[in-house]
Amino acid sequence: MTDAPATALRILMIDDESRILRALKALLREYTTFSTTNPLEAAALAKQHDVDVVICDQRMPEKAGVDVLREIKETHPRALRILLTGYSDLKAVLGSVNEGEVFRFVNKPWNNTELRDLVASAGQIAREAPVIARDVLPAAEHDRARTQVGVLVIEDDTAVQQRLREILQPYYKVNFANNAERALQIMEQNETGVVISETEAGRSDLTSLLKALKLHHPHIATVVVTERANASTAIELINEGQVYRMLIKPVRMGTCRLSVDSAIGRYWQLKQNPQAARRYVAAAPNAESSTSALRLPAALLNRIRSLPGRLLGTMRA
Amino acid sequence: MLLIVVLVLLAACAWLGFEMLRLRRLNLALRAGQSESEEELKRLQASQSQVIHTTKLASLGQMVAGVAHEINTPLGFVKSNVEVVGDLLDDYRKLVKQYDAAVQICLQPVDLIFNADKASLDKLVKHVEEARRKLFEARAAVEKSPLLKDAKELLGDASDGLAQLSSLVLNLKGFSRVDRDGMDSMDLNEGIESALMIAQHQLRDRVKVVKQLQPLPKVRCMPSQMNQVFLNLITNAAQAIDGDGTLTIASKVEGGQVQLDFTDTGVGIPDDVLPKIFDPFFTTKPVGEGTGLGLSIVHKIVKGHGGTIKVRTTPRKGTTFTVSLPVNGNGAAAAEAA
Repeated sequence: MTDAPATALRILMIDDESRILRALKALLREYTTFSTTNPLEAAALAKQHDVDVVICDQRMPEKAGVDVLREIKETHPRALRILLTGYSDLKAVLGSVNEGEVFRFVNKPWNNTELRDLVASAGQIAREAPVIARDVLPAAEHDRARTQVGVLVIEDDTAVQQRLREILQPYYKVNFANNAERALQIMEQNETGVVISETEAGRSDLTSLLKALKLHHPHIATVVVTERANASTAIELINEGQVYRMLIKPVRMGTCRLSVDSAIGRYWQLKQNPQAARRYVAAAPNAESSTSALRLPAALLNRIRSLPGRLLGTMRA
Repeated sequence: MLLIVVLVLLAACAWLGFEMLRLRRLNLALRAGQSESEEELKRLQASQSQVIHTTKLASLGQMVAGVAHEINTPLGFVKSNVEVVGDLLDDYRKLVKQYDAAVQICLQPVDLIFNADKASLDKLVKHVEEARRKLFEARAAVEKSPLLKDAKELLGDASDGLAQLSSLVLNLKGFSRVDRDGMDSMDLNEGIESALMIAQHQLRDRVKVVKQLQPLPKVRCMPSQMNQVFLNLITNAAQAIDGDGTLTIASKVEGGQVQLDFTDTGVGIPDDVLPKIFDPFFTTKPVGEGTGLGLSIVHKIVKGHGGTIKVRTTPRKGTTFTVSLPVNGNGAAAAEAA
């Protein structure tokens, strides 16, 4: 990585509509921009110009944006990835979390000021925060991690709880909670690195809890397991909750184990390298977004804020 | 003898009365049964029209999703460009202000020269030289500035985008025909084009569309229904294609008939399914994904217009749906079709 923090950010933009590229280039004219209408050459360009931020369209004839971003994640992990899309179908949104690990999901038409600010902060993070290349730990270290790091399941459906218990209990230190209150009690008493959660429990929303948790403790990896996924909730959970993985019920053993394994790896490495957590920082809740209307009670929010760093493994400054 | 006759008559009367009572009871029972089955029929009709309505809503939802995608892309750059051009003009204004300041500096010595003594003339020359340099720089900055060129380019794009948006809206109006329902003369090629636009988001990424459209005479029909037929056939073709493929749409006139072929390179229709494809409520899609009404509605609409629909299919190779409509047909029954 070239050490030149004073030079302008380098941004790569990919869209099959060249007029979108020209618009973005004009909008981001204070930065050095590279652009292409051909998604097949995107990964090579990202590496060649050592870009800081990638902005990619989702729907392109040659290749989907999610696949482009996944490839860039592998070959040039230093860059933060933003997916720009005209219409979000659920499959694309789930892919962008689980495979592309996007930093933000932005809808067209975008807001100029917000996009400019987003690129500026993403670029700064890309330059300053260290990269975690691979989430999966070497076997010996993984064994150590999974005996120390707590996995918390927030789920009120007893059948699903039972299923998750069967899948997880033999391998991890698992705790179960069926509401937000109980979840916080557990987190106050145990080191918790991975939170597996539904989006709601007993008709009460859990997404605000997940967002607040990520906002104040970005090193915790959250895996959302949900029955009824819709694209807009999922986008909110990416942008404001930086969820690590999003799985659709029924939960399958293989996918679930893989997700929890790499989530533990992610947490374990962030614990040792807290600066890298900046890469997974969530956006402050958007005032217009639907579920943030369901604000968390102040008492819960305070408890989330003051969760002891000792138990969470953070090194507080 | 008389007694016997009277007795027989009485017996007959009693029997008749008994029969009449029985018949009346039966009749009542039948009427009750009839009104029950009438109610049942009404219930069925209501639920069928509910399902048809739901199908229309589903295709409306699909249409909205597709159109949202088509609109958001041009909207994205038009909106951004208009704002950015505002910023560029502000930047340009700054350049012009600097130029103006340089001009002012140049003008100062002119006043001084007219009432200057020899000693201060030298100083003035220096000032003029400096001012001339500044003016030259400022002028070069204005001339070389790409701001106006960029702004013009962005406005050009924005104008293209607006044209794209208006043609989308026009197409939508043409597709839904909300402004004029009922019978009309229609160029079926236009209907195909607007249905393709609506289905665009299902096709674009993977299905190549080949159009072989010959000029057609206008056909008297219900345009909104014909568009529904086209959208249905195009959507079905897109769904039949697993991965990449081609949809070929051909139109021609032959013996007083307009013939439209929709050929896909999809999975084809298995032999056991083929006889049932136009049956209402028949579907191969998982529960909740299809109502099984798409092709039955297509069939009904085409029939209602006095036309025919034929299908040729080869498993794993693809399917062709051929719609034929009479050029001079009076789609009289069409109004009742859907």
